Amino acid sequence: MRRWWILAVLGVSLLGLQVWAADPIKLTFQTLFHEADAQAMEQIINMFNETHDGIKVELIQGGWTQYYAQFRLSVISGNPPQLGVCHTNKLVEMADYLTPLDASPVGNLLKVAGIDPDSYVGANWAAGELGGHHYLIPLDTHGWGLWYNKDIFAEVGLDPEKPPQTLEEFIDACERIKAAGYYAFHPAEDAAPRKLRRAWYVFFWQMGGQLFDKDYTHATFNNPKGLLALQFLVDIFNDFGWNKPGSNGYSQFAAGQLGMLVAGNWYYGTAVKSGVNWGYAPMPNFFGTPYTWGNSHQLVIPLQPAGTSKDVYLAATEVLKFISENSHIWTMYGGHITAYKPEAENPELLASDYWTKSGKWLNEMAQKGLVHFPINHPKGSELEDAIQAQIELAVNGKISPQEALDRAEEDCNRILAGG
Amino acid sequence: MWGKFGHFLYRHRNLEGILYVVPFLGLWGVFLAWPVGYGIYISLFDWNPLKGSKFVGLANYVQLFHEERFWNAFANTFKFAGMTIPLIIGLGFLFALMIWGWGRSRRGTVTVQSILFFPYLLNVSIVAIIWKWLLDRDFGLVQHTISRIFPSAPVFLTDPAWALPAIAFATAWWLAGYRMVVLQAGLEEIPKELFESAAIDGARPWHQFIHIIMPLIKPSLLFTLVLTIISAFRTFGQVLMMTEGGPGRASEVLALYLYWVGFDYFQVGKAAASGVILLVLILILTLIGVRLLGLKSELQ
Repeated sequence: MRRWWILAVLGVSLLGLQVWAADPIKLTFQTLFHEADAQAMEQIINMFNETHDGIKVELIQGGWTQYYAQFRLSVISGNPPQLGVCHTNKLVEMADYLTPLDASPVGNLLKVAGIDPDSYVGANWAAGELGGHHYLIPLDTHGWGLWYNKDIFAEVGLDPEKPPQTLEEFIDACERIKAAGYYAFHPAEDAAPRKLRRAWYVFFWQMGGQLFDKDYTHATFNNPKGLLALQFLVDIFNDFGWNKPGSNGYSQFAAGQLGMLVAGNWYYGTAVKSGVNWGYAPMPNFFGTPYTWGNSHQLVIPLQPAGTSKDVYLAATEVLKFISENSHIWTMYGGHITAYKPEAENPELLASDYWTKSGKWLNEMAQKGLVHFPINHPKGSELEDAIQAQIELAVNGKISPQEALDRAEEDCNRILAGG
Repeated sequence: MWGKFGHFLYRHRNLEGILYVVPFLGLWGVFLAWPVGYGIYISLFDWNPLKGSKFVGLANYVQLFHEERFWNAFANTFKFAGMTIPLIIGLGFLFALMIWGWGRSRRGTVTVQSILFFPYLLNVSIVAIIWKWLLDRDFGLVQHTISRIFPSAPVFLTDPAWALPAIAFATAWWLAGYRMVVLQAGLEEIPKELFESAAIDGARPWHQFIHIIMPLIKPSLLFTLVLTIISAFRTFGQVLMMTEGGPGRASEVLALYLYWVGFDYFQVGKAAASGVILLVLILILTLIGVRLLGLKSELQ
C-alpha cells in the first residue's frame, strides 16, 4: 500500500513538473503594422515561436493612427504589452512610457542579451538615445523614392532605364509626359495632408532648410527657401499642370495614368499587383542635396509594471534580438530596409525581386544619409498638424504659399511657447 | 419565510421599485456616470498619471477659449449640425410620408423601405469609405457625374467650402433610414378616422398635414430630433475618414478636435475639457428642442 502511495506522489509530482516545465513565458507584441508589414512581422514571430519552446509571443497588429495613444494608456493602466514599436521621431514623446534598455529594473538588457550597437546602422542606433539612456533597437529605415511608369517613359521618348535625377531632367520628363496626355507627376502618395507636408519637407530640406531652430524655440521655415519649396509644390498641382489638387497618386499610378509618383517603399506590393511596367529610382535632386523623407521603426520594451520578473525582460530582449537577426524577411516582404547590418548582406535578400527592383535604391539613399527623419519634439504631432493644415490649403489654391507659411509659423510659435 | 419577506416588500413598496432598477443603475453608473464624472474631474488637471497629474483648475477651459482652432471646431460643429439635422430629419420624414401614403400593404413598399433603411445598417467606416470613393477626384462616380454636368463644380472633399456639406450629405444618406422607420411608426399610430372626418369637413391634404399629422407626430419627431442632435454634435468617424478635418481645418468638428488633442497630442486634460463643453452643448440644445416642440408634459 505504502509503495502505491509513493508511486502516486511521484506521478503527481512529475506531472506537475511537466506542466510547469511546459508552461512558456507568454509575451504580447503589439505593433502598428498592417498589410505587407504585418504579414512580414508575422512570419518572423511564427519562426520565433516555432524555434523557442520556452517563450510564446502573441502578436497583435493593427492600424497606426491610434497606436501611440493605446500604447500610453496600456502603460498607464498597468497592462502594457511586453514588446512594441516606436518610430524614431516619437522617442521624445514616448520615452516616459518605455523601458530604458541599458538601465531596466533588472539591469542592462543590451549587455545581458549581447546586443552589439556596431551591428546596427549608426544613425538609427543613435536615434534611440535620450537623456543618457538607450530605449530603442533599430528595425529598419523606410522612406520615399520615385516610382515611374516605364511604358509612359518609352512612349514619350524618355529612356525607361534612366529616370530623371536632376531638376532639369525632371522638368523635361514632366513636360513630355503632360504633353502626351498623362498626369506627369505626383509628389505625395495619396495627397493626404501629412503627405503634402512631407513633400514640402523634401523640397525644403533639399535646399538646406531647417524647420525649427536647434532648441525648438521658434519656427525657421518662413523664409525664401521655405517659400520656394512650397511654391514648387503648389505649382506642381496648379500652374505647371503636372497634376491636380486632391488627386490620389497611388490610384493614378496603379491605373497607368501617372508618369512619376513619389511614394514609400510600402507601395511595392501595389505596384507589382497593378500590372504597370514600373521602375524605381532614388529621390531626384531638385534643389541641392537629394534628401528624401523617411523614418525608422524601432523595437521597444514598454515600461512594465513594478514587479515584472527578470525572465520576462530577458525573454522580451531575446525576441528583439531574434527579430533583428532575421530582419531580411522584414525587408523582403515588408519593404523596409533592415537596420541590422549583417542582415543587409543576406544572400536571399540580395537576390530577391524586391531588392533588385527597388530596395537597393532605398538602401543606397539610407547608406548615404539622404533619408531625412522627421522632427523629434514632445509636441511634434501638434507642430506637424499645424504645418500640414496650411500646406494643404495652399496646394488646393485656397491661400497663397506666403500666407500658408505665415499662418503655419504663427501656429508653430504659439505651440512652442506653450500656447 | 416568504410570507415575512412578502410582508416586508409590501411595507417597503418603494424599495421594490428601486431593486428593479438596481441592475440598470449599476451598469449606468459604471459605464456612463463614472466615466462622465471622471472626465469632468480630469478636465481640471494637467493629466499625466506616470509623472503625477497637476491640478490646474479651469486652466484647460481658459486655454481652449483662447485657442482659435477650438473656436473653428466649435463653429464647424454648429455648421455641420445646421446642415445635417434638417437634412436627416427632413429626408427621414419625407420617406416616411411617402411610404405611409403609399400604403404598407401595397406591392413593393417593403422593398423600397428596405432600400431606404439599408445604409443605416452600415458601419460608419464603410459609409465614409463609400462616399470617399464616390467623391474621389479622379475615379469618383458622383464627382465625375457632377463635374460632367457642371464643369466648374468643386472637388467636394478638397474644397474648404464644400467639405462639410459633402460629409453632411453622406451622413444624411446613412442615418435618414432609421428616422424614416421611427416617424413611419408614429404616422401609423394616428387614427385613420381623423383623416376621414377631416376629409368630410373639406380639409385638404396640406391642412390635414398641418392640423393632424404634425401635432400627433410630435413625440416621434422629438425622439428623432434628440437622437439627431446628439449624433450631429458628436460626429466623428465620417469626418476623420473622409477629410481628417481638412482641407486645412475646414471640416474639423469638436469631436475630431477632441480626438487629436487627446489621442494624438495626449493632452488629456484639455481634451476632457472640450468633451465637457460638448456635453453641456448637447444637453442645452436637447432641452431647447424639447421646449420648442412643447413636449414637456409628454416627457413628464
